[in-house]
Amino acid sequence: MTWRALLVRVVAALAITLCLALIGLPVLALLLRVPAGTLLARLADPLVLSAVRLSLVTSVAAAALIVVLGTPVAWLLATREFHGKRILEAVIDLPMVLPPTAAGVGLLLAFGRAGLAGRALASFGISLPFSTAAVVMAEAFVALPFFVGAAAAGFREVEPRYLDAAATLRASPGTTFFRVMLPLALPSVLAGATMSWARALGEFGATITFAGNLPGVTQTMPLAVYIALETDLEAAVALSVLLVLLSLTVLVAVRALPLGPAALRHARRDPR
Amino acid sequence: MLAATLAKQLGGFALAATLEVEAGATLVLVGESGAGKTTLLRLLAGLAEPDEGRIVLGGRVWLDRAAGVSLPAWRREVGYLSQDYALFPHLSVRRNVGFGLRAQGVRRRVVDDRVDAVLGGLGLADLAARRPDQLSGGQRQRAALARALVLEPRLLLLDEPLSALDLQTRRAVRGELKRTLAGLPCATVYVTHNPVEAIAFGNRIAVLEAGRITQVGAPDELLRRPRSPYIAEFMGVNLFQGTVGARDESGLARVRTPFGSVVAVDPGEPGEVLVALNPRGVTLHLEPPAGSAQNVFPGRIVELVAEPPFGERVRVALDSTPPLVAEVTRHAVESLGLREGLEVHAAFKATGLVPYR
Repeated sequence: MTWRALLVRVVAALAITLCLALIGLPVLALLLRVPAGTLLARLADPLVLSAVRLSLVTSVAAAALIVVLGTPVAWLLATREFHGKRILEAVIDLPMVLPPTAAGVGLLLAFGRAGLAGRALASFGISLPFSTAAVVMAEAFVALPFFVGAAAAGFREVEPRYLDAAATLRASPGTTFFRVMLPLALPSVLAGATMSWARALGEFGATITFAGNLPGVTQTMPLAVYIALETDLEAAVALSVLLVLLSLTVLVAVRALPLGPAALRHARRDPR
Repeated sequence: MLAATLAKQLGGFALAATLEVEAGATLVLVGESGAGKTTLLRLLAGLAEPDEGRIVLGGRVWLDRAAGVSLPAWRREVGYLSQDYALFPHLSVRRNVGFGLRAQGVRRRVVDDRVDAVLGGLGLADLAARRPDQLSGGQRQRAALARALVLEPRLLLLDEPLSALDLQTRRAVRGELKRTLAGLPCATVYVTHNPVEAIAFGNRIAVLEAGRITQVGAPDELLRRPRSPYIAEFMGVNLFQGTVGARDESGLARVRTPFGSVVAVDPGEPGEVLVALNPRGVTLHLEPPAGSAQNVFPGRIVELVAEPPFGERVRVALDSTPPLVAEVTRHAVESLGLREGLEVHAAFKATGLVPYR
């Protein structure tokens, strides 16, 4: 082996080791610090328990909202060509790269008491900021692109011949969507829904900015971890381990879905 | 009855065709790949939109571009079998066949009864619970046909329905499909590039070449009076295109083609003519023949092809001027020692050649 080839190997091995260490060490550190005997007791703490419950409720609600609102958008992006399509795609993807705290500020300026839409809502007696609904909105905001991207990729992979066949079998466009397109793209749609749920579960920045940190109302698991870090390290570790386990389960589960190649590329984008 | 006039521009390719099919009849549409056969079917089905055109089916207007009328595919009473059948992979055979009825809101019990009747009629009753990927090619074809027929279409479009099958299956399915189609009340358009299928299925054959229909007629008419080199090739006959030259008192005339001239029956007037020659009318000889044949051409054998099913007859292609194809018996091939590269003389009588315009 030449010196050059050896150098390439050493550098590559070093890069791979450091990369794995970057992700693997923190996870390992968390697992090593698990207060084995008291983990369950920690999780049963009323404050922790309410954070877990709130996280599950809001993230499932956010995922449901995303599926209902995002499916037509994904269908539009997958099947139609129109002016401004690229811009719409960029806008939908924006939450993926935008710092969540900036998203929270935006939400506050839009739906806050003096915000663009907030004033109109206030005249109906509706106030969103610092409510559980605000948590759902913040989570939906940041998690939407994960669903739309995966679902659109799934819709794009449905072969047109099946849609043509449905049309010649007297199925209206709506029937064709629900009886042919959606069932054939179901693995991708499920993957997208799961990934967006996982992203919503881990949401922190937008939530704390827009919804605040009110225990039992807006304090989700990630917020509870951050707060507990200063007062109760063991509770923070317990919650973090729970989050790691949930996220890992989701990622493994999504990989078990029978996805097409384009849908897979979308699904494998990390949800955090 | 179907009456359709359609025109569509696709990049550099222009499709312009007029079709008429009686109810209960089958029109076979033939043409090379790229001639526009599938595009024409998709225009009829409503899966593609023409630039101009009109489709009327049994008095009902499906399409009239001038009047701004265009029913979407799902509002046309059309049955469409694509080449690969496109059975829904997520549904059983029963659900596939019942799909169209369910889409129209027919109740599940009624659907199941009608589906079972159609499946029984096509010999698919035992396979109703299977998924498409658990079926053989022939079974898939029947299931797709059942799925279209259960809706009682007024126009049935079949795009090379046998091309996805292997040879052995194809022969069995062909007979079965022919019986099924013969009993249908709807107009049928059957696309193929296989001459045997064209002759087996068509009351009439329409030939599509580069987006235009060059001839429509009964198989026999295409055989005797092909209107283009492609049609002659498709039907397996020799065709000479030329002008009438010297004529004599015995009622014969020379027809000059760009690749040499042949002696034929005098058409009575000068001008451009076509002359078809059945390859069975061509005899092959090792020495110039002394008989009564007015047309004798020397040439080298470029290809010998045994005709299915038993190879009792052999098609022999020559590089003569004009190029000729002869069809002779296997006995003749053996006794003359015919092989590729051999110099022979091809002969045929003028009286069998009747020019047409």
